Amino acid sequence: MTTYRLQVNGKVHAVDQDADTPLLYVLRNDLELNGAKFGCGLGQCGSCTVLLDGKPAMSCMVPVSVVGQRPVRTVEGLGNATTPGVLQQAFIDEQAAQCGYCIAGMLMQATALLEKTPAPTDAQIRAHMSPNLCRCGTHMRILRAVRRAANTLAAKGKP
Amino acid sequence: MVQVRRTRHIGWWLLLAAVIVATGIAFAIMWRPTLAPHTAPQSFDTTSVERGANLARLGMCASCHTPDLSRPFAGGKPMNTPFGTVHSTNITPDTTTGIGAWSEAAFTRAMREGVARDGHLLYPAFPYNHYVRMTDGDIQDLYAYFMTRPAIVAPARENRMTFPFGFRPLVAFWNVLYLDDAPWQPVAGQSAEWNRGAYLADAVAHCAACHTPRTLLGGPDLKKQLGGGEADDWYAPALNEHSPSPLPWTRDQLQAYLRTGVAHDHAMAAGPMQDVVTHLAQADERDVAALAAWTHSQLAKAPPRKTPAQQAGPLPQPAKDDPDLQRMTLGYAVYANSCARCHDAGRDASSGTALPLQKAIALYDPDPRDLIHITLDGITPPDGEPSRFMPAFRTILTEEQTGALAAYLRKYGANQPVWPDLDKAVRKASKE
Repeated sequence: MTTYRLQVNGKVHAVDQDADTPLLYVLRNDLELNGAKFGCGLGQCGSCTVLLDGKPAMSCMVPVSVVGQRPVRTVEGLGNATTPGVLQQAFIDEQAAQCGYCIAGMLMQATALLEKTPAPTDAQIRAHMSPNLCRCGTHMRILRAVRRAANTLAAKGKP
Repeated sequence: MVQVRRTRHIGWWLLLAAVIVATGIAFAIMWRPTLAPHTAPQSFDTTSVERGANLARLGMCASCHTPDLSRPFAGGKPMNTPFGTVHSTNITPDTTTGIGAWSEAAFTRAMREGVARDGHLLYPAFPYNHYVRMTDGDIQDLYAYFMTRPAIVAPARENRMTFPFGFRPLVAFWNVLYLDDAPWQPVAGQSAEWNRGAYLADAVAHCAACHTPRTLLGGPDLKKQLGGGEADDWYAPALNEHSPSPLPWTRDQLQAYLRTGVAHDHAMAAGPMQDVVTHLAQADERDVAALAAWTHSQLAKAPPRKTPAQQAGPLPQPAKDDPDLQRMTLGYAVYANSCARCHDAGRDASSGTALPLQKAIALYDPDPRDLIHITLDGITPPDGEPSRFMPAFRTILTEEQTGALAAYLRKYGANQPVWPDLDKAVRKASKE
């Protein structure tokens, strides 16, 4: 075991873990941030997506030992039930979740898009969100929610 | 004095004559006539159309001419070449923006000589230097197939060529160098299947367009036929005696690879080869078998050699006295914590084929591009294709970690010296 100092949602946490432990397990088990979900464990579904250094990464595929100083952001960093973030509010408004298992990953994937491309085209939204799967089939609502969030941010005049 | 003047006079006349002759020759090389538009309705035999459909798959026409699946053969795919960006064109039978006004003679001329109906020269991104050896019957069938596709209006996108390559007649000089119109000949003593495969590989599937290196002028380097080329900045491995494969391909592996993208316990199609497989999966199985038979005979020229793949298993820790110990230790850590969980665990079922990495052909390539591409972007099967999957590590690993991993795999997986251009290649691929 080694002690890793991880910067998650702006706070530094020290965790004792094996080098090959996936970041997802550290987030959920050590830090009790249960937003990111274990889906396939193979990097194929996207339900564990978090932001690593601002870029979307499937945290089941990230050994804790490669993270280093790079900041990690999870869905818990976007907002909470009383003060949801813009994307979270858009997902609520579009009722984009059915069972909700994929949604934390969807939100983080969408966050990465809007931070880099504040006014995406529908084609860009589709292409960017394509690694993340929803087994309930609310993809159309999810796409609408991302569109809505982009429009809200554009109306506010800031990304 | 008079004598000198007369000599000078003759000199000028000779120069003028030479210029006229040279201009005449250049014009003869560069100029091609417009062929009359074809307007009368045509009907085609359905078996001819079906044969044409098979040839279109074997020739992977859609790979360039169908960038948008909802608009088959309407063209518009940009292709980056050292001479500029060329766009594929509309080959549906639309009369104004496609090839609807092209007679069979015009189509044949395009396939054999790279000349459009209106006489302008096509860029050799269109591999007419291969199609030139297609049989008359095959060209007729292909014509029947394309003329019976739905017509789609799609004007050609403007190419962006670097000076002076925007001047199309220059292609004529490329043709003098590289357009070999000698008809294809079967090789006596080889089986009918082998000869079918040889014909398809050369004249239709144009394997050598990517698997043969190109000269500075963008032509095939015929001294290195099938000696390894490139496509979309991927290394396209040598298919001859220089094959990098650490274990010899079996014919069955090759056939499965060409048909499904997965050669069990050997290789998985990635990068531009995925598109080839998508097309071959829909072609006549006997033709794919013929291609496999011929390609296997080329790959079999590679002499047997001792490679780490023969005793594959988990990769070792770096040697304590490794001169690059720090980097190799980092590479090993990335391998052990990221790669090993599939590649050492024999996770075949979920990924198609997660090989012990001593068997991974990319480690033995003459340059690191394929290994870097696969590490950064993984392998995603095309829509509707069965599982062959590797996750992408682009956002997971830093540039330093990716470089260290590739260096470690090359040295301790393939037992070869680290590629000298590795860092540059990692930097370039990381920016994409």
